[in-house]
Amino acid sequence: MSNVKRTWNVNGEEKTLEFPPLRRLLDVIREDMRFTGCKEGCGEGECGACTVLLDGVPVTSCLVAAGQVPDGTQILTVEGLEKTEQGRVLQEAYVSAGASQCGFCIPGMLMASFALLSKNSRPTEEDILDAHGGNICRCTGYVKIIEAVRLAAQNWPRK
Amino acid sequence: MGPKRKIKSGHVGADSTRVDAPDKVRGRAVYTDDIDVPGCWYGKVVRSPVAHGRLRSLKRDEEFDWSRVSVVLPDDIPGKNIADLFIHDMPFIAHDEINYLGEPLALVAAPDRELAEEAARHFHPDIEELPGIFHMEEIVDLYKKQDSSLHSLGEQTTVKGDIEKGFSEADMIVTGEYWAGYQEQLYIEPQAMIAEMTDDGGVFIRGSLQCPYFINPELCLTLNLPPEKIRVKQEMTGGAFGGKEEYPTLIAGYCALLAMKSRHPVKIVFDRNEDILFTTKRHPSWGRLKTGLKKDGTITAIHAELLLNGGAYTTISRVVLARGILHAAMGYRCDNVFVDGRIFKTHTFPCGAFRGFGAPQATWAFESHIEELAKACGMLPQEFRRKNCLVQGDVTPTGMVLKDSVGSPAVLDQVLDRSDFAKKLKQSSRGNPKHKKWYGIGLAFFAHGSGFTGDGEARFKAKGAVELDWIEPNHPGVNIRISSTEMGQGAFTIMDQIAADAISIPLDDVRCPLPDTSLCPNSGPTVASRTTMVVGHTVHGAGLKLKAALEEFASKEVFEGRPVVLENGRFVCSGEALPFRQIAASYLDKHGRLRTEHQFTLPPDLKWDQSTFKGDAYPAFSWGCNAAEVEVDPLTFEIRLKKVTACFDVGRMINPLNCKAQAEGGLVQTIGYALMEKMDVRNGKYDADRMQTYIVPTMPDIPEFDITFVEYPYEFSPPGAKGIGEMPMDGLAPAIANAIENATGLRCNRIPIMPEDLFTLHRAKHQNG
Repeated sequence: MSNVKRTWNVNGEEKTLEFPPLRRLLDVIREDMRFTGCKEGCGEGECGACTVLLDGVPVTSCLVAAGQVPDGTQILTVEGLEKTEQGRVLQEAYVSAGASQCGFCIPGMLMASFALLSKNSRPTEEDILDAHGGNICRCTGYVKIIEAVRLAAQNWPRK
Repeated sequence: MGPKRKIKSGHVGADSTRVDAPDKVRGRAVYTDDIDVPGCWYGKVVRSPVAHGRLRSLKRDEEFDWSRVSVVLPDDIPGKNIADLFIHDMPFIAHDEINYLGEPLALVAAPDRELAEEAARHFHPDIEELPGIFHMEEIVDLYKKQDSSLHSLGEQTTVKGDIEKGFSEADMIVTGEYWAGYQEQLYIEPQAMIAEMTDDGGVFIRGSLQCPYFINPELCLTLNLPPEKIRVKQEMTGGAFGGKEEYPTLIAGYCALLAMKSRHPVKIVFDRNEDILFTTKRHPSWGRLKTGLKKDGTITAIHAELLLNGGAYTTISRVVLARGILHAAMGYRCDNVFVDGRIFKTHTFPCGAFRGFGAPQATWAFESHIEELAKACGMLPQEFRRKNCLVQGDVTPTGMVLKDSVGSPAVLDQVLDRSDFAKKLKQSSRGNPKHKKWYGIGLAFFAHGSGFTGDGEARFKAKGAVELDWIEPNHPGVNIRISSTEMGQGAFTIMDQIAADAISIPLDDVRCPLPDTSLCPNSGPTVASRTTMVVGHTVHGAGLKLKAALEEFASKEVFEGRPVVLENGRFVCSGEALPFRQIAASYLDKHGRLRTEHQFTLPPDLKWDQSTFKGDAYPAFSWGCNAAEVEVDPLTFEIRLKKVTACFDVGRMINPLNCKAQAEGGLVQTIGYALMEKMDVRNGKYDADRMQTYIVPTMPDIPEFDITFVEYPYEFSPPGAKGIGEMPMDGLAPAIANAIENATGLRCNRIPIMPEDLFTLHRAKHQNG
């Protein structure tokens, strides 16, 4: 199959890339664009470490064929978080709550948190559990991640 | 216990946030697979499709273009075809007998991953298949029949008092058998390693690993290189839990052999399926306990057997067994104890290190059994434990007198109080058919040895160093040089705290780089809950020496020989003060880098006999107690863990926030061990070999936590920490099983406990009764 060409907005910047249409979005992000913050933990959509946002919606990028992502899509990876005030609030909350240990799940976990808080900045306990149920962390036991999301919600910049 | 040293406070004891967190939340932390190595090839292991057999030949497709790839066969190994993992019973690449499914038959490297994988498919082994042994059930069956066909990989006994006399004094004898299954570490970053040749004919190995000084010297034998030609550097490591303790020597060896053959750097990153199938697991275990009791609850004799399924080769299993038997009857007063541990071979991947290292299996059996003992003499579980638990001055099963730093019964009392245990125990359902949900609370009390077994630390002589240097342009500061790794547990943050505290400078002036054998002394492996206690002490000692040297320099060079004290980042001399950075810069300008080192020692009166396993089993014990509250659905037998109340004594807490984080993470991993992570072997292969089938706790699975600490510092070794990493793994499984019994009236003697197990027990109970 011949290459396809796509133009996306990645972390706030326009990028045009060519790749085989069935190439995993994860590989395009990590290898072609070198956003290596996005991690591969299982390659089958279970661990959530490769979660990125496509137009604000969290997806596991290991299960997305990059050719399926249309032109003009806004892609947000962990590297793009600090460009926004909300992203910085979330990162600071993770640091001060002690939510990151080995850190390998954290890029995906942060994207799940960011997707939740962007839509719902006053989440209930259940909202938080629902939003992160697809992200596996083996270090923290999740307690401090939940605390970080609560803390970020408290400090979330509201217009 | 030996000389008491002053413990000073400052950064130690503060909730410092983690030094590695800012990079990690920005996606800037560089893990092994993130490193772009120019010209790097990709390695792949060609594996045996059968579990037990004899390799007749290994054919290769002639039509495949082999010139595009590099192949390593046993004859290509420059040194001996031996994996130098403790015992020399495993070949690096199988050449004759095959002992587990997936055993390496060849290694192949190619410029890209796809080609390496394609090449691997063009190997065709011809293997004469032989019958194999796979399951703990088979081992136990043969063991009970005293069948000589069982292949032992190691055994150890420890004896205290006279076991027969103990049983003769008993009013009753209670027996029980307790099974525990496999557990996969399931670090989220799979195994990853890179090796490249250096100009001097050596190799540079870097990757995701726990113990740089395991890989060097272990690869010397295989690569036929002296230790100075094998440089090992840890890269950012995405979780390990023991899974990157002894195993990385193998993947590092595969990369190094391929790099030496192909003359290219070679990287191997496992995919999840390969990682689960072909790396170590926690040993499945079987424990049998027989205990003599008096009517008043006094324990007169404990006879404990602990069997481990070692897998195909010995590797680290004997060390795991040692910790297992030292915890198999630990925690309670008894004059007559006999503990026997054995490892048996099966045709599965060798089992290995996993957080707790034999102690979770031992504690699972013993704390389940303790519950039975309480019942047998008509005592409440908390009363029985309170009556018999070891306290200061008591003697352990190996004859160690608990002289100081004993957080028992404090941890037990704290949990009983905070969980309102006595009241909640009365509310437990015990299978009452009138209850819509069955509620139950259960208890476990335990100790965990910190550091290497016995006098291991005295023999090892762990060293740590600190170095005054330019840590950034125009920023003089201190590098911590230790071989301890940061794998998520927070070691570097607490080392920064300890060093800054000892030297009395701000945290910003201290950094702990990832270890590299070309730069760091051997502080030992990052295992055994030893890092904070043992290596932390070496950093503390090295820091004090650096401080003294700088004070001397300041006195001589700046303050005309008057006494100077370095305090909170300032050199103070009779009312005058100069900043640390100013004096540090002038030291560096005049003399260059300053390095001080300190070695860990043990009290001279510590006694240990490695042949009889008698004496002081560990430098110190940490203590813990867990209460679990469960709810069981009487229709579906679904088990919901509602709340965990835990209290730990880990000595002086260097960083309470991090201690709590370790406890939370370990307890949640134990929820998986107790209730979710079911794995078996079918046709020689693990049946739960992907994240879709190996089920671990996710955020909605976690209970409410009440976690507290009591501090009984280890005074001999400032700043007084004991171990924390492993202990949260020890007690929650039996606490949950005990809670389930109190909820349902059903005794589960096998973990993980699944709803279908409760259903089976329920039917058996009601069919027979």
